[in-house]
Amino acid sequence: MKHIYQKIKEDPRFRELESKRRNFTWLMVGIMLANDFWYICATAFYPEHGYARFWGTPIGEGYATTWGIVIGFLQTILFIVLVGVYIYRANNEFDTLKDAIVADARRAAGEKP
Amino acid sequence: MNIIAIMMFLGFVLVTLGVTFWAARRTRTTKDFYAAGGRITGFQNGLAIAGDFMSAATFLGVTGLIFSHGFDGLIYVIGGVAGWPIVLFLLAERLKNLGKYTFSDAVSLRLQATPLRCLAATGSLVAVVLYLIGQMVGAGKLIEVLFHVDYEVAVCTIGALMVLYVSFGGMIATTWVQIIKASLLLAGGSLLAFLVYARLGFSFDTILRTAMSHHTFGDAMLAPGHLISDPLSVISLATTLVFGTAGLPHILMRFFTVRDAVEARRSVFFAASFIGYFYILIFILGFGAVALVTAETGYFDPATKLLVGGGNMAAIHLSHAVGGNVFLGFISAVCFATILAVVSGLTLSGASAISHDLYANVIRPQASEHDVVRVSKFSALVLGAIAVALGLVFENQNVAYMVMLAFTIGASVNFPLLFLAMYWKDLTTRGALIGGYLGLATAVGGIVFGPTVWVEVLGHATPLFPHKYPGIFALVIAFGGSIAGSLLDRSARAARERAGFRDQFIRSQTGVGSEAASVH
Repeated sequence: MKHIYQKIKEDPRFRELESKRRNFTWLMVGIMLANDFWYICATAFYPEHGYARFWGTPIGEGYATTWGIVIGFLQTILFIVLVGVYIYRANNEFDTLKDAIVADARRAAGEKP
Repeated sequence: MNIIAIMMFLGFVLVTLGVTFWAARRTRTTKDFYAAGGRITGFQNGLAIAGDFMSAATFLGVTGLIFSHGFDGLIYVIGGVAGWPIVLFLLAERLKNLGKYTFSDAVSLRLQATPLRCLAATGSLVAVVLYLIGQMVGAGKLIEVLFHVDYEVAVCTIGALMVLYVSFGGMIATTWVQIIKASLLLAGGSLLAFLVYARLGFSFDTILRTAMSHHTFGDAMLAPGHLISDPLSVISLATTLVFGTAGLPHILMRFFTVRDAVEARRSVFFAASFIGYFYILIFILGFGAVALVTAETGYFDPATKLLVGGGNMAAIHLSHAVGGNVFLGFISAVCFATILAVVSGLTLSGASAISHDLYANVIRPQASEHDVVRVSKFSALVLGAIAVALGLVFENQNVAYMVMLAFTIGASVNFPLLFLAMYWKDLTTRGALIGGYLGLATAVGGIVFGPTVWVEVLGHATPLFPHKYPGIFALVIAFGGSIAGSLLDRSARAARERAGFRDQFIRSQTGVGSEAASVH
């Protein structure tokens, strides 16, 4: 196994894959945590802080539904969408690149790809 | 005595026992027992993960929280879904590429296996036992109210059934029990939400308006600030929910039941979708319960003015309010099935920690495959007995809170350990042990000396640790301890461990080497 790892390590495309995937992962984690903590903090510091006041106000004249509820619902949807976006890119772009790197490394190491 | 509930429940038990019998015949190797032979598809695994996560504590507990506290129940809803993107982005794929049966495999790959497996197994077992207590107590209470059997009988029945599923059917049976139950729960929850909608003119706004007109908070029910007033607690709770999910051993174990990283990703997508859908249902049910149950005096104890059976029973009363006795029976049976499935998953994960991590890798590395599986069956029996005993002792504990404690251990021991081992090249065995045990001690200490146990259970006047949710403190201490311990570690072993990161990293990214995982 060691020599295959060595071949992969030497492949410049692996460095490219690694940095692409790392940037993408942390971007997604950042979006995710920022959204979650923003929502939770707005809930936690309500009502002392004015910026979250609209949490408890109805979305329009004659409605009982408040902004807090709508945003909470959208958060849930957003999390699932983020999961979907990540998987789409990982399955297509990253896996294609990864498979090519691994196949070449196996061939170079004298194994059946 | 509700005949429909009993019939439905017996039906579920018969079907699942049939599945267990079928699974037992297909369970030949260790890999079958721990990881269902790696033959579960992403969709099936997603449903099973959702099943593991959608416990009765969520269904009954969160509905009950919204029923009593309105908007703030949303913290649990958002927190419940928020853990899944984190699991996908940071863990799922790498875990599948590095591990074999439990997450300790991935942690101990380049570090010293023996001490780290002990730490990871301890973290797993503490989380599993706390989670088990929560589920057992919930189940016992539910059965006591619905079937009018004694609490002791109820807890023992569940204990016996879960040991049967796990020890005979292993991961194959446990996964299928989970899939059946998840489907039942999603169908039951959807039907209940539909009936609530139908009753209130198919308008979510009408549900909220009716709810506000009945709730003691009035219009303020839809504004935050009723459940937890101190901001630090809310943030600690949210952190615990997000990272705790990524540290629950019975969930992490499911990623080894699929073929490869692609299926592991698909699992998370289906799991997150089912869980998201289910939590949105719960939100409707919570407000639906306020709208439809509060007005009916029949659901309240005439003497105390409290909900019959306690705050966790709001969803059950709601099913009676919209569908009468037949539907009440159906939903009760679904809840019971839910508990049974979740405790089985937990027991299997605890038994794996004992047999695979401790017995096969620490105590007797030369043990045969056959011996290891036998030890796990015996561990399942012991865990079942422990769960029954603790279920009896903790009869009057708050269910949702016990489950929170399991998340606290997950977030403050298992998650930091796994995350640093996979992402930080400088982590050494010494650092991991220092951080892991400090995190564990802080979490357990914070729980024991905190307001809930120290004051409410043990009857002291003031808590030694002032916060109800120690999660964020333990998480920070675990990370801090691991990082400091590793940076100060200048031993030759530490240098070797750092050097081993590169190969581990390539394996985690590409999956090369993971398919060669040998049997014991």
